[in-house]
Amino acid sequence: MTTDTLSPRTTPTPPTPPSSRPSTSPWRDGVRRTRALSGANVRLMRRNRLTTLYAFVVPLTPLVLIAFADGSTAAAAAGAGSVLLLALVFPVYYTVLSMLVTRRDELVLKRLRTGEVRDREVVASLALPGTVVAAVVMAVAVAIGLPTGLPFPTNLPLYVVTVLAGAGMFTAFALWTASFTRTAENAQITSMPVILLASAGTLAPSLPDRAAEVLSWTPMAALDTLQRVAWFGLDTDGGSVGFAGSWAEAGQPLVVLAVWSVLAVDLARRTMRWEPRS
Amino acid sequence: MTDVMETSCDGVLLQPLRPGDAGAMSTTTLPHTPSPLGSDTGAAVRLNELRRTYGTGADAYEAVRGLDLEVERGSVLALLGVNGAGKTSTLEVVEGLAPATSGSVEVLGLDPVEDRAAVRRRTGVLLQHSGFAADLTVTETVELWAGLVTDARPVEEALAEVDLGGRADVAVRDLSGGEQRRLDLACSLLGRPELVMLDEPTTGLDPESRRRVWALLQRLRDAGTTILLTTHYLEEAEVLADRIAIMAAGRVVREGTPDELAASLPATISFTTPRGPDGPVVVPPLGAGRRTDRDRTVVETDDLQVTLTSLLTWAAHEGIRLEALDARQATLESVFLDVARVAADAGETHPSTYPASQPEDLR
Repeated sequence: MTTDTLSPRTTPTPPTPPSSRPSTSPWRDGVRRTRALSGANVRLMRRNRLTTLYAFVVPLTPLVLIAFADGSTAAAAAGAGSVLLLALVFPVYYTVLSMLVTRRDELVLKRLRTGEVRDREVVASLALPGTVVAAVVMAVAVAIGLPTGLPFPTNLPLYVVTVLAGAGMFTAFALWTASFTRTAENAQITSMPVILLASAGTLAPSLPDRAAEVLSWTPMAALDTLQRVAWFGLDTDGGSVGFAGSWAEAGQPLVVLAVWSVLAVDLARRTMRWEPRS
Repeated sequence: MTDVMETSCDGVLLQPLRPGDAGAMSTTTLPHTPSPLGSDTGAAVRLNELRRTYGTGADAYEAVRGLDLEVERGSVLALLGVNGAGKTSTLEVVEGLAPATSGSVEVLGLDPVEDRAAVRRRTGVLLQHSGFAADLTVTETVELWAGLVTDARPVEEALAEVDLGGRADVAVRDLSGGEQRRLDLACSLLGRPELVMLDEPTTGLDPESRRRVWALLQRLRDAGTTILLTTHYLEEAEVLADRIAIMAAGRVVREGTPDELAASLPATISFTTPRGPDGPVVVPPLGAGRRTDRDRTVVETDDLQVTLTSLLTWAAHEGIRLEALDARQATLESVFLDVARVAADAGETHPSTYPASQPEDLR
């Protein structure tokens, strides 16, 4: 046969019969797959110069605001808002958006979905690297502040919840934005509405009451309020609260965050596409 | 007496399954109950009255229209058809990527949607278009897939099998089309699947790359893997497939071994029409169809040997020499063209009749 000359030297492996396939736990398999995909995503983020810049460099810059707050709680709280904003917008929102669109164009997502990996694992693996970056940046912010006289977070669990819930919400916004983003370059434009909405939220504390009232219902304003109370124990009037009081102060912003998250997840679920428009 | 009865039952009714004799169970009338683990016997794929509709209301388009198909274990079945015949739409249902609109689907005795995890562990899929991150190398790509597969084979072994060992550190973006296809196959085969589903595995490849893929698939088949593939290359179907199912307008219209399909159309005998003193000599009926095509006489027959014998006996008796005598069985190509012609006459497979949203072979 003519094809014989082209055959490699290896002998074909017979398929594994079902009886000799190892039994495994669905949960452990899911974690293993998510780790494998996240690892590949980190590798791909580091191979793309723009993604490297947005995901790993940009979120570090506002840490300067913490270092130069000179122990002033008011200045540091404003700076921490910027740190959180950039940590969520660039490593999480923008990176998930551009990776999702790129992988979708390359037909990688479609190909992945033919295998054992579940949709939720694919999404988690896109969000995980940026979420880890955001968490590390927020931890570093605290570490930088301590020697300058800034406090350790008043409510550490709330601080962690703020970062993780923010990352989850911005991931959902990224999935939704991807549905009307044709190419990765196009993401620079299509990401503007969400980035503007996010940026506007951090302005709330410095605006007149009426405007601040309206802005306080935006997702980033809620996150800003949460980081202020969780880290510095600051309530919205600039007063200070302890651990117990911080939970009470967190009620309204947590509800706002939950509503926006539900909206974002619902938009993402309804618009998610796994392959390019034909 | 009982012993004798049982022996004869064993010997006659319940023929022992030989390894590779996968189809033996599929002809029995035992009621089939899918078990959570699936079965080791029975057809690898069983489709019954499968229908798949895109869209709803006035825009609804039925791409698969009551399709029946069985793929025996350890066999290779090629779904052959023109673009838009419904091959990919059918395959996507078998792969569990899309639910059937109606009808039943059984893959390794399981439901590809309900029993997703169990089915996916035991099957491998190759889509019509490969999907890779261009910035990863060959090894990184296979390593990633190895992390996604339960009990993956070693990466080096997988690369060696598709002859990509020497390209391990090359970025996917720098691979040729044929190399990308083989890399894709390596990913499909990482879990040592019992069943692989390949959508046009060699479309767009140069002849040398195509033969490499064929060689790989032949080795897979020899090792006992069941293969369901779609193609519009007749030669591919002839080289690889044990059975061929020809699709048109969402149905299987012909199915059989390549030889059986060829036998479904009449064989033809042709020769230059002999001339006698009174003009062209008319051949006797011979019990078969007969026509003239310019200066040739063409005889169509379902039994080539009998008709040819009669013809030659007649010619010998009449002392006639049959110039440029040609006798041949119908080819797979003639069967395929016959199906395509009938379908085109029915106006059903012409791409322009499809709605634009039809996400099938027409992209």
